[in-house]
Amino acid sequence: MVIDATSQATSAPETAQPVIELIDLHKIYRVGTELVHALRGTSLRIHENEYVAIMGPSGSGKSTMMNIIGCLDVATRGSYLLRGRDVSTLSQSKLARIRGREIGFVFQSFELLGRTTALKNVQLPLSYSRTRHRRQRAIDALERVNLLDRAHHRPNQLSGGQKQRVAIARALAQQPTIILADEPTGNLDSGTGEEIMTIFDGLHEEGQTIIIVTHEDHVAARCWRTIKLRDGQIVSDQKSGRGISDADDAGPNRPVTVGTPSDRPEQAAT
Amino acid sequence: MGGPLLLVRALLFIPDRVAGMVGNIITALVQIWSNRVRSLLTVLGIIIAVTSIITVVSLVEGFGNYVTNFLRGLGTNMMVVYPQVVRGPRGEYLRRAEMTIEDIQTVDTHADAISRTSPVIFTGASVEYGRRRIDRVDIRCTNESFLRIRNFEVDAGRFFAPVDIENGAALCVLGREVLRKLECDESVIGDFVHVDGQRFQVIGLLKAKGSFMGDNQDEIVVIPWTTGLKLYPHHRKYMAFYVEARAEPEIPEAEGQLVRILRQRHGIKSGEMNDFGIFKQDEVLKNFRQVRVIATSVLAGIVSISLLVGGIGIMNVMLVSVTERTREIGLRKSVGARRRDILAQFLTEAVVLSTVGGAIGIAFGYGIVYMASMHPNMVEVDVPLWSVALALGFSAGVGIFFGIIPAFKAAIIHPIDALRHE
Ligand SMILES: Nc1ncnc2c1ncn2[C@@H]1O[C@H](COP(=O)(O)OP(=O)(O)OP(=O)(O)O)[C@@H](O)[C@H]1O
Ligand SMILES: [Mg+2]
Repeated sequence: MVIDATSQATSAPETAQPVIELIDLHKIYRVGTELVHALRGTSLRIHENEYVAIMGPSGSGKSTMMNIIGCLDVATRGSYLLRGRDVSTLSQSKLARIRGREIGFVFQSFELLGRTTALKNVQLPLSYSRTRHRRQRAIDALERVNLLDRAHHRPNQLSGGQKQRVAIARALAQQPTIILADEPTGNLDSGTGEEIMTIFDGLHEEGQTIIIVTHEDHVAARCWRTIKLRDGQIVSDQKSGRGISDADDAGPNRPVTVGTPSDRPEQAAT
Repeated sequence: MGGPLLLVRALLFIPDRVAGMVGNIITALVQIWSNRVRSLLTVLGIIIAVTSIITVVSLVEGFGNYVTNFLRGLGTNMMVVYPQVVRGPRGEYLRRAEMTIEDIQTVDTHADAISRTSPVIFTGASVEYGRRRIDRVDIRCTNESFLRIRNFEVDAGRFFAPVDIENGAALCVLGREVLRKLECDESVIGDFVHVDGQRFQVIGLLKAKGSFMGDNQDEIVVIPWTTGLKLYPHHRKYMAFYVEARAEPEIPEAEGQLVRILRQRHGIKSGEMNDFGIFKQDEVLKNFRQVRVIATSVLAGIVSISLLVGGIGIMNVMLVSVTERTREIGLRKSVGARRRDILAQFLTEAVVLSTVGGAIGIAFGYGIVYMASMHPNMVEVDVPLWSVALALGFSAGVGIFFGIIPAFKAAIIHPIDALRHE
């Protein structure tokens, strides 16, 4: 019956399964003898070609959630279905394979390899997945972010915005299912941030599923859906921005409700 | 069904594997180059180890070949029997020793494991030709069997005939080095030279043999032993003789026979010492083998200590490298690197590092061997290929052995921890 509700609210094909489905996810870090509860029962569905912003105060668990979605980390409890497949049971090397082929990660601090060229940086994921025609695909990806003329430059010869574009090209090279960006504009001035967001906008238009963690409202405003976290829980989930304005009220219901819709207001109050 | 399919798939993957390895090697070289000084200091131990391997192995091998060749040149079945004064416990002379021509002839006829004998008096003399004079030339006073026993050849003129020996003729055969020092050519045959002032006619020339340990075997003058005794009567007591066994395995038997004959002839009672000594090649070989064992154990000591030092250095620098590059490891994992990819990357780096050290050591080794071979009295030395292979094997092995822990440490780093690393 949950599925019924979803099918009425979304523009995505009714029968399509979500790309990402988090069910009652918990993440507990252990620091010495102390336990840090970074995610407390988060449930969430994200469908193909969604453009999602995740917001929330510092320490609210945004990065933790992104890392789990990106298969860089596993949840302590709860399940995460990626295209319907439960990821928590997969082996290390299967997880690595998913990171390489299905997920494109963009980091706040770019994380480019300093000693190699932009092109080589973009090729990196392809070499781990042993993809064919790596060079051509890397060139295509660089072209997509408009940086082909800097293909043979090293990161220290590039501006911050250019570095981030290389990082986006690297995330794109594998033609991943989802692009995850954790504060991609956090280290950039607002103008450069806008450029980066324009690229994400374009990718979304081309059909890419994108999730962006951000502190900036104008970044979130460009996304079509905004999820707010506080203390490891989702406190709001809204359609937003230039997207489907009429889905504003349907939005929150759709993705969050799985299992425990009644819990939410209570948690938000705490 | 599955077999061929698997094979095809495996074959399709090979280029990828190779590409992955080449990629790792390039990454490693870039990494090593960007930390050149650190890398160089790290592999110092390996360089020393490999340099010692190459140098010592080449020198020992060179001397070994040389000694073997020399012994072959002496004649493999040869022994020298020489008189040896018997001394008592306080060093006093017990009996004087002398070898007579009858002794030699008896051995020659009665020892059936001995194919030929040749009396010999070793001495030195000055040799003059025209205005040229050389001092302290080796003189061998011997007979016609000398050539066969000592593997000499006459390549111009002739050697003595038995009749020349009988007559005590003043004839001589010269070695090539004598010829060179006297500054004359083969036309000297038929001409006269003076040996210690005595006129000798040159009847032939010995084919060149080369030098041994800086001692030129061709600086030699051979004269009939009868003539030699006339020239140096008091050398009679130094007369020795060459013995050639019928075959190499019969050397012990030949030795036994001649010992028996000589003891009997010299009236030595059982329990008394021989009044003669026997020089055999296997003694030279034994001595040389000892040198070889010593050189090898010294080498093994140096090599194992410096390999250990080098290995620990590599482990240390790789651990530092892993820590320095934690974020890189995190990033690589986040774009799909599996544990084994990271392991392979860092293991490759350790092996490339140690192999580069090995290569430098090999170059040094070649350099030292080359410089050694420049010395005029040096034997011919060559770097054996197997020592290069051994050295490379050792250095790669050290890389693997000491690189595995850092590589493993890198491989199991959690991607998130790595990306959070400052
Ligand atoms: N590896 C870790 N070990 C222990 N605690 C951790 C670890 N990672 C995160 N935490 C804790 O989990 C909580 C959530 O952290 P997270 O990084 O997800 O926050 P965030 O929302 O991304 O914050 P920011 O906006 O500052 O990036 C924080 O309280 C943090 O201290
Ligand atoms: Mg964060």
